[in-house]
Amino acid sequence: MTSIPVADKRPRTTAHPDRAGAMGKRPGGGGARNRRRLARFVVGLLLAGYAAVSVYPFLWMVSAAFKDQLEVVSGGHLIPENPTFDTLIDTWNKLHFFDFFLNSLLVTLYTVVLTLVVYAAAGYAFAVLRFPGRTFLSRLFVSLLFVPGVTVMLPIVLLENELGILGTHWGLVLPFVNGGAPLSILLMTGAFGAIPAELRDSARVDGASEFRIFLNIYLPLAQPALITVALLTAIPTWNEYLLTRVSLTDRSTFTLPLGLQTLAAENVPHYNNLMAGALIVVIPVVLLFLCLQRYFVNGLVGAVKG
Amino acid sequence: MTTAPRPTSVGEAGSGGGSCTLPAGAADTAPRPGKRPRRRGPGGEALSGYLFVAPAVVLFAVMGLYTVGYGFLLSFASWNGFTPHWTWVGLDNYADLLWRSPVYAPRVRSAGLNTLWVMIAVPVLTVMVSFPLAVLLNQARRMQGVLRSVFFLPYVTSGIAVFFAWQYILRPDGAVNLLLDGIGLGSLQQPQGWLGNPDTALPTLIVVTVWGAVPVSMLLYLTGLQTIDRSLLEAAQLDGAGWWRTNASVVWPLLRPITAIVVLLNLRDSLQGFQTFLVMTNGGPGDHTNVLGLEAYSLAFLKQLRPTLGLASALGWLLFAAALVLALINLRALRSKT
Repeated sequence: MTSIPVADKRPRTTAHPDRAGAMGKRPGGGGARNRRRLARFVVGLLLAGYAAVSVYPFLWMVSAAFKDQLEVVSGGHLIPENPTFDTLIDTWNKLHFFDFFLNSLLVTLYTVVLTLVVYAAAGYAFAVLRFPGRTFLSRLFVSLLFVPGVTVMLPIVLLENELGILGTHWGLVLPFVNGGAPLSILLMTGAFGAIPAELRDSARVDGASEFRIFLNIYLPLAQPALITVALLTAIPTWNEYLLTRVSLTDRSTFTLPLGLQTLAAENVPHYNNLMAGALIVVIPVVLLFLCLQRYFVNGLVGAVKG
Repeated sequence: MTTAPRPTSVGEAGSGGGSCTLPAGAADTAPRPGKRPRRRGPGGEALSGYLFVAPAVVLFAVMGLYTVGYGFLLSFASWNGFTPHWTWVGLDNYADLLWRSPVYAPRVRSAGLNTLWVMIAVPVLTVMVSFPLAVLLNQARRMQGVLRSVFFLPYVTSGIAVFFAWQYILRPDGAVNLLLDGIGLGSLQQPQGWLGNPDTALPTLIVVTVWGAVPVSMLLYLTGLQTIDRSLLEAAQLDGAGWWRTNASVVWPLLRPITAIVVLLNLRDSLQGFQTFLVMTNGGPGDHTNVLGLEAYSLAFLKQLRPTLGLASALGWLLFAAALVLALINLRALRSKT
């Protein structure tokens, strides 16, 4: 591992005599090349190793979801001996997973849309507009990061009980949106701040209103950040369990994680059904992430650089 | 549009729009106090500013401020959630939790100790895994996108679904024991399952937590790596620094701000998070994996008619205070080193 991969990234030219000199200092041309190949192999091996660690539980989840009752108990191999779709179909039907699925979808959709609307506007104000109290407000929102979820969970439940929205989907959406405030505002402020002010100035000269500037110039340019925020909101919302568990009591309002919980809470949990349910919960977010991951990484890079 | 960035009002002439918006956008949300001349009629911009933040502020006032205030008041009361009135007890809840009550104080102490272990182990292990991982991934030319997605999978799936999957593979006859047997490390198998043995339950949960925390940390490091100026690395090489030296003496110090963020985020999550613990062990076996967040949760929601809501709230505030202290220490440490 003594070779330096950074050097490989640049095409070697003789135009830089000093660089060429440095190369020449390395002992043995052919040996260095072999060593570099070995280094690349080791790097690949390590990366593949962690990739295996990353997907290991996921693989067994998939595996068990295609096993029958008997096979799943015996542990056995990663590849099911008698792969069957019955477990998945059975789980889907038995638990009314479609209803849970729809509930999850609605809650996530409302949360994402509301988050984007509310915090894109707030981020625009913090990044671009000047008004008294701006610093104070933006710090207030960021400091929210440190309020423990468990501290506010109880008051939220009590408050929603009084407002009459406890147990409804709005009773989930509103706290979720509010909980995502610090991160969403940080990301949106960063993204809007990176947009050159000349664009806005010239739009102003043309007489565009603040709202039109926001809508027609800033929002389209901040698209990667919007997608990043959407993903960072959608994934935890889809998987959310704690508040959902304490606030939903009517089975018809249950989201997927709660449906899964009822499956696990049976006297003898059938791991093949449980894993099939888990797979149903996980697949939509994985697909969503894979579709959007290109924008997502770019958006995050932009936000960190900004 | 030939008069491109010509300002509309006279006041702005010198400073120019560019210089005033760019620093403000620096994501740290610590913009300079507005000593800028107004662009439009007095208050025009301020008014639209307030309009733009209004939805966020209203939501925060109801869902945030109100509940935070409510919880704070509740921490000084004794209440079971059903009686119409609170009984004011002042600081009793805090005293009970910290030392006085023979029932709660020992529980809080042991949960605190477990939490402490998690708070030390999770950030350290996360940094130890995610930094090298990001460095290696940054060097991979082929497959980088695919690997990045694969490494990120734990974050995407993190939730009770994947915790059940962990539970499944950690069972006595689960995949982890099978794997150990398969690679000749059968002596390390856990016949009671990894979560059933009091000695291995907490370390196992720590590993699962780290597994879930690595993706975001790795991505943060990766973005940090991509902002490092390449010429700096080349300079290091010209000075004869090898791969290890370059990473240890140049890259690692340059990424210290990111390490601070990673540590801070993980400290906060270790202190406050308990979902993994609730789903996978519910504190067991025999309270060996009980953590403070879980204790607060069960005081708040699992005690039926006993008046523990005030205690739960007080414990939540103790957690908040601890998180705040940690954040301040972390920020101070970061500032003194850069």
